[in-house]
Amino acid sequence: MKKHLSKTYKWLDDRLDLTSLSHFIEKKTVPIHRSSIWYYFGGVSLFFFIIQVCTGILLLFYYKGSADLAFESIQFIMSKVEFGWLIRSIHAWAANLFILSVFIHMFSVYFEKSYRRPRELTWISGVLLFFLTLFFGFSGYLLPWNKLAFFATKVGTDIAGNVPIIGEALKGFLRGGDDVTGATLSRFFGFHVALFPGIFTTILVIHLIMVQRQGMSEPIESDKETTVKNKTMPFFPNFMLRDMLLWLVVLNVLAILAVFFPAELGEKADAFASAPAGIKPEWYFLFMFQTLKYIPAKLFVFDGEILGILLFGLAGLLWLLVPFWDTKSSKGIRNRKMNYLGLAAVAFIIILTILGWVS
Amino acid sequence: MKRILSMITAVFIFCIISVNGAPAAEDKCYLCHSTMDDKESKLFKDDIHFQKGISCSGCHGGDNTAEDNDAAMNKQKGFIGVPKGNKISEVCAKCHGNEKIMRGYGSKLPVNQYDNLVNSVHGKLAVEGSVRIVQCITCHTAHGIKSVKNPLSPVYPLNIPQTCSKCHSDAGYMKTYNPSLAVDQYTMYKSSVHGKLNSSGDPKPAQCASCHGSHDIKPVKDIRSKVYPVNIPGTCSNCHSDKEYMAQYKIPTDQFAKYSRSVHGIALLEKNDPGAPACNNCHGNHGATPPGVESISKVCGTCHALNAELFSSSPHKKAFDEKNYPECETCHGNHEIVTATNKLLGVDKDAVCISCHTDPNSSGYKSAKLMRQLIDSLDNTKNAAMVLINIAEQKGMDVTEAKFKLRDINQIKLEARTQVHSFDPSKFKDVVSKGLLIGSDASADAKGAIHEYSFRRVGLGVSVFLICLLAFGLFLYIRRIEKK
Repeated sequence: MKKHLSKTYKWLDDRLDLTSLSHFIEKKTVPIHRSSIWYYFGGVSLFFFIIQVCTGILLLFYYKGSADLAFESIQFIMSKVEFGWLIRSIHAWAANLFILSVFIHMFSVYFEKSYRRPRELTWISGVLLFFLTLFFGFSGYLLPWNKLAFFATKVGTDIAGNVPIIGEALKGFLRGGDDVTGATLSRFFGFHVALFPGIFTTILVIHLIMVQRQGMSEPIESDKETTVKNKTMPFFPNFMLRDMLLWLVVLNVLAILAVFFPAELGEKADAFASAPAGIKPEWYFLFMFQTLKYIPAKLFVFDGEILGILLFGLAGLLWLLVPFWDTKSSKGIRNRKMNYLGLAAVAFIIILTILGWVS
Repeated sequence: MKRILSMITAVFIFCIISVNGAPAAEDKCYLCHSTMDDKESKLFKDDIHFQKGISCSGCHGGDNTAEDNDAAMNKQKGFIGVPKGNKISEVCAKCHGNEKIMRGYGSKLPVNQYDNLVNSVHGKLAVEGSVRIVQCITCHTAHGIKSVKNPLSPVYPLNIPQTCSKCHSDAGYMKTYNPSLAVDQYTMYKSSVHGKLNSSGDPKPAQCASCHGSHDIKPVKDIRSKVYPVNIPGTCSNCHSDKEYMAQYKIPTDQFAKYSRSVHGIALLEKNDPGAPACNNCHGNHGATPPGVESISKVCGTCHALNAELFSSSPHKKAFDEKNYPECETCHGNHEIVTATNKLLGVDKDAVCISCHTDPNSSGYKSAKLMRQLIDSLDNTKNAAMVLINIAEQKGMDVTEAKFKLRDINQIKLEARTQVHSFDPSKFKDVVSKGLLIGSDASADAKGAIHEYSFRRVGLGVSVFLICLLAFGLFLYIRRIEKK
C-alpha cells in the first residue's frame, strides 16, 4: 500500500513539482502573539464560503429561478427533498454568519493595521470580497420569491436608483425593467449563482495567493528592529489543525441553528399586494437603511437620500483606500487616530443596526 | 311669543301670495287663460296648487295682476314662459325645497325631494346628454297635479305601478338606458299577491315605491338601494313585520325574525354576502308570491341543484308527493333554515328522520342510523387528523399538505351531505369512504412530520456528539504535537 502511495506521489511530483510545494508548506509559519486569535476569522470566512458553495450547488438541483416556480420549488425543497430543509437552513444561516465573519475579519485586519505596506493589495482584494459578500446576500435574499424579499428588493433597488447620474440606468439594469418582476428574479439568480461566484472565486484566489506569498502580518510593534521577534508556530499541521478545530465548532453551531431555527419561507410574492408594514432590509444593510431614514429629505439644496448615498459611496471608497492615506502605519508608526476612526465606524454600525432593529 | 310667531307666519303667507299674485279669483293669468278655454287652465282648476291659491305666475313668473298681456308676461317681471328640461324641476324645487314656504302652506311634505331626485338613478343625464332622465312632471304631471293622497293622482298607491310602467314597460325606451333591464315588471307585478290586491283597490300592499323608494330611487346594484340584496329583508319587513299593518291579511309577521336566525339570514345580514338568498330569491321580486307545496323543491333547487336532483330520484319523492309534504321544507323548515348538522340525520331525538321512520326494523330507520354513523366517523377521522396536525405544527413542522387534505375532507363532507338527499346508504358510503381514506392519509402525514421532528433532534444530537468527539480528538492531537 505504502509502496503504491509513494509511487503515485513520485509520478505526480515528476509532473507537478510537489516537493517544492511541500517545502513551502513545511517552512511556512504563523506568528504567535496576543492578537493571533484574529487570524482564524479569515479561515472561518473561507469555511463559510465553502459551505455556501456546497449547499448552493445542492439547492441548485431543485431550485427553479422563475417567478412562477421559485417559491414552489423552495417549498418542495423544504418539504419533499430528503434533508432539503437542512440544506436550505444551513445555506441561509451560513450566509448570515459568513457576512458576520467577514465583518470581523475585515475589522480585525483594520485594527491590526495589517493593510500597511506591503499588503495594500491584499487589503483591497479583501474589501472587494466584502462588497461581493454583501451583493451575494442582496441577490440571494430575493431568490425564495416571498413577499418580504420582494418588497425589500423593491426598496433596495429604489435606493440604487437614487445614485446620481447612473441611478436610473443602474436600477433598470438590476430590475431588468421598470419594476421588480420575474425578470429581476432571473437576473438576481444569474448574479447569485454565476457572476458573483466567478468574480468572488477569482479575487479569493488572488487574496489567498497574496496571503501565502506575503505571510501573516504581524503587529506593528514587531516592525521595529528593537523589539524581540514574536514566537511562531508551523502552519502545517499546527495552525491548520487549529483552524479545522474551529471549523468543527462552527459547523456544530450551524447545525444547531439550522435545526432549532430553520429558515422560514413566508408568503409568496405578490406584486399587487400591499407592502408589509415596517419592511426592513437584512441586518447587514440595516445601518445604511437607518442612516438614510435619519437624513432629512432636504439638506440645504441637496436631496437627503442622494446625499446619504454619496456619503456611503465616499466612505466605501475611503475604506478601500485606507492603506494609501494611513501613511503613518506603513512607516511602522502607531496611528491611534486610525483606531479611533475604526472604533467610531464599529460603534456607528452597531448603534444604527440596533436602532433599525428596534424601530 | 306664540302670537308673535302666528303673526309672522300670516305676514309671510301674505307676502308669498303678493309675490305670486292675487288669489285665484283675482289671478289675471288664470282669468284670461280660462276664457281662452285652453287645456292647461282647464287642468289647473283641479290642481292642488290652484286650490292653495298659487297662481300660474308661481311657476311661469310674470305679473298676475296686470290686465295687459305684455305687462303680465314681461320678462323684466320674471316671466320665464314654459320651463324646459331641468328648469322644470328647479322651478318646483323653488317652493318644494324651501321648508318655510312649504310649512307656510300647511304642507308637511319633506323638502328634500329635489335633492333626492338629482342623486337618484332618474337624476342621471338622459340619452340626449343635456337634461336629467326624469323631471317632477314625468310622474306628477303638470297643471293637473293632485295630492299623493288623491286617488286621481298618478302617484297614488293604486296608480303608481301604471305610472312607472309607462317607461319601464317600454322596451324601446328602456334599452336606450339599460338593455339588460327587464321590462316585464308590471306584468309580473300584476301576477303577484301585492299586484292582485292593488288591482282590487287595496292601496296598502306594496307597489313600486314601497320597495324602490320614490324620489330617492337607486340602481339595484347600489348598496344604498332599498332593494340591494342585503337591504331586501329589511325593506320587506317594513310591512311584513308590522302586526297592525298586516292584521287584515292574516299572515304571520315573524318571517324576518326567523329569517335573521337562519343560515341564509346570517350569511346575508351578518356576513354581508350579497350572494345569499334574500326574500325575493324564493318568493320572486315583482311577481312575489309564496311558492306552493309542489314548487318548493324547484325554488330551493335553483341554488341547491344537486340536492334537488338527488331528492327527485330518491324514494322519498313519491312518498312526499303522496302525503302532500312540501319537499325541502318538511325537514329543513322555511324561513328559519338552520345550518344542517349531523344531528339532523339518524334516529336520535333531534334527528328529522325519526319523525317518520319510527320502526327500528324498517329499512328507513336502519339506513338513517347507518348514514349517521358514517358521517360521524368521517368527523372523527377529521378531528383525529386535526389533533395530529396541530401537534406537528406546534413543533414547527411544515404540514401544509396535510392541511390541504383536511380541506378535502371538508369538501367530501359537503358532498356526503348532498348525497344524503339520495337516501341511498351504499352511495353515501362510497362518498364517505373517500373522506375516510383522505383522513387517514392526513393523519399519516402528520405522524410522519412528528416523527421527522424527533428524527431531526436525534440526528442533531448524534451529529453534535460526533463533531464534538472529533473536535476533542483534534484538540488532544494538537496538544500532543505542540508539546513535542
